Amino acid sequence: MSALLDVRDLTVRFALPRPSLFAPRPHLEAVRGVSFRLGAGRALGLVGESGSGKTTTAMATIRLVPAAGGSVRFDGDDLLQLAPEAMRRRRRDLQLIFQDPYSSLNPRTRVEEIVREPMELMEMGTPQEQRERARELFTLVGLRPDQLALFPHQFSGGQRQRISIARALTTNPRLLVCDEPVSALDVAIQAQILNLLARLKDEFGLAYLFISHDLGVVRHVCDDVAVMYLGKIVEMAPRARLFDAPQHPYTQALLSAAPSLARRKSRGYVRPLKVSGDPPSPIAPPPGCAFAERCPRARAPCRSTEPPLDPLGDSRVACHFPGPA
Amino acid sequence: MSALLEIDDLKVTFDTRHGPVTALDSVSLHVAAGETLGVVGESGCGKSITALSVVGLIPSPPGRIAGGSIRLAGEELVGAAPARLRALRGAEAAMIFQEPMTSLNPVFTVGAQIAEAIMLHQKVGRDEALREAVALLERVGIPSPGQRASDYPHQLSGGMRQRVMIAMAVSCRPKVLIADEPTTALDVTVQAQIFDLLNEIQRDFGAAIILITHDMGAIAEMADRVAVMYAGRVIEEGTADDVLDHPQHPYTSGLIACIPALGKDDAAGRLEEIPGVVPPLHLLGDSCAFAERCAHRFARCDREKPRLVAHRRHPAACHAVAEGRI
Repeated sequence: MSALLDVRDLTVRFALPRPSLFAPRPHLEAVRGVSFRLGAGRALGLVGESGSGKTTTAMATIRLVPAAGGSVRFDGDDLLQLAPEAMRRRRRDLQLIFQDPYSSLNPRTRVEEIVREPMELMEMGTPQEQRERARELFTLVGLRPDQLALFPHQFSGGQRQRISIARALTTNPRLLVCDEPVSALDVAIQAQILNLLARLKDEFGLAYLFISHDLGVVRHVCDDVAVMYLGKIVEMAPRARLFDAPQHPYTQALLSAAPSLARRKSRGYVRPLKVSGDPPSPIAPPPGCAFAERCPRARAPCRSTEPPLDPLGDSRVACHFPGPA
Repeated sequence: MSALLEIDDLKVTFDTRHGPVTALDSVSLHVAAGETLGVVGESGCGKSITALSVVGLIPSPPGRIAGGSIRLAGEELVGAAPARLRALRGAEAAMIFQEPMTSLNPVFTVGAQIAEAIMLHQKVGRDEALREAVALLERVGIPSPGQRASDYPHQLSGGMRQRVMIAMAVSCRPKVLIADEPTTALDVTVQAQIFDLLNEIQRDFGAAIILITHDMGAIAEMADRVAVMYAGRVIEEGTADDVLDHPQHPYTSGLIACIPALGKDDAAGRLEEIPGVVPPLHLLGDSCAFAERCAHRFARCDREKPRLVAHRRHPAACHAVAEGRI
């Protein structure tokens, strides 16, 4: 499969305040050598706890956060090496939907302007064509074209997320980064948006880089899933394999922590695998495996050597002692 | 099992620019000692208002309890003197809020805040209260509790802060513990730890827990019984198993069906959706509040609000169920 997106060894560093005036500036490595591939029309889920680097990975991939190293091949170009003007033209292929539909739409702009703005920036079509396109997209995402003259506050949360999706689609993108697109919505509304995203993926062959902390949502939307922990991918596999036969103890812990209708108090459900504590600080990551401190399977090598992300069957797993729970 | 907390026909109204709006409409709930009642629904359905009315914290004005009764161990709370409510709050009924960072005071150490709650309700000195606070921190699973007691809230992680909140809430061994979305701001692994802790505390103290959540998964894992709320009313109530496996009300079955399953591949299929949105409370007329979104709507749904009455298995407020159409 030739990949639409091929990310290699992506690294992102954030500068921290100097401890004293002449001390060297310390850095925090938020993304530590992440590699993945994503084919056209496929969805890759990035899951992990807050601070695991999933959003930063996605943002660095589309160059909204500067990367400190690595390469991002998108349709033949290395996005990280493109000159600013070439990158600006490339942006029409790369669009983004944010988590909070309340703060990601300008409250003082009519939604028609919001949806047309990307076309204006990309100098696509005449004003008449842009209006036509806006109407067409509004219908496509399940809103009425006569609502285009309204302001964002006149819409509900789910409708606002539909506006964000319409805006993202104006430039006919090929890659859509969805950063927790349904986390702020009620479950009943969440299903509407997930169905819309699934339909758009099929109709337009869109590729999704899909960030979510909700594993059920990820299982529903994504073809492949990468689990991140402290800035690294610790397990990556096709959907069914990751959910039904997870190999990394952290993936297993995440899955057993997620509430599910099948796990009933009345039937005496007790969580089989518990993780204690919180993830370590990314400012001073531990020398070995980052998960060792919380891992029920940790042994001596885990605390000294970092496990590489090695192939294991269909999966890739970064663990010294991978295997079923 | 006799109920420890009984809410009967509770009505809460808020004065808004649209005139008085009914936020809770004849809500009746009960919970027994040692039992967990889950209250589930979408934002704005009244689940938090129900919790706040139990601890007497409805913002007033604009809100007020317009009718009904709330009895805690036989004592009527509606209309009770503010001083009496203050004495009960924390000691008999305690609340854990969603966002631990905003509900803890940032300028006091967590130990001092727990000690304050203890001194408010028990005749103990400061040193003894502080010792008790450290013991509680240990009980809720905070490592090196002695040192942590002198930390400020910002020095703790989200999960630790929520543990502090729980320590504070159980400091006076309340009979009823109300947890309003206690894990919404937390990661799943931490959420699992908090759920396990709440269950342990219930076993130790025999408290009744009211868990308010939007997450049916949390209901499955935590609740013995569940009440489903929609637009200020309880629309279905029963044991968690009964409601999850045999939902009666179309809203409940819709809520359950639209959750993407963790345990099986359903990516090929579409998720069930509930069309439309919850109607604004000030526009509710005499019809069933769910009628606009309901596939089983018929003439009676537009004429008359369905009441919560027992059907085949457990109570549901739906005309279609009452007439055997579903």
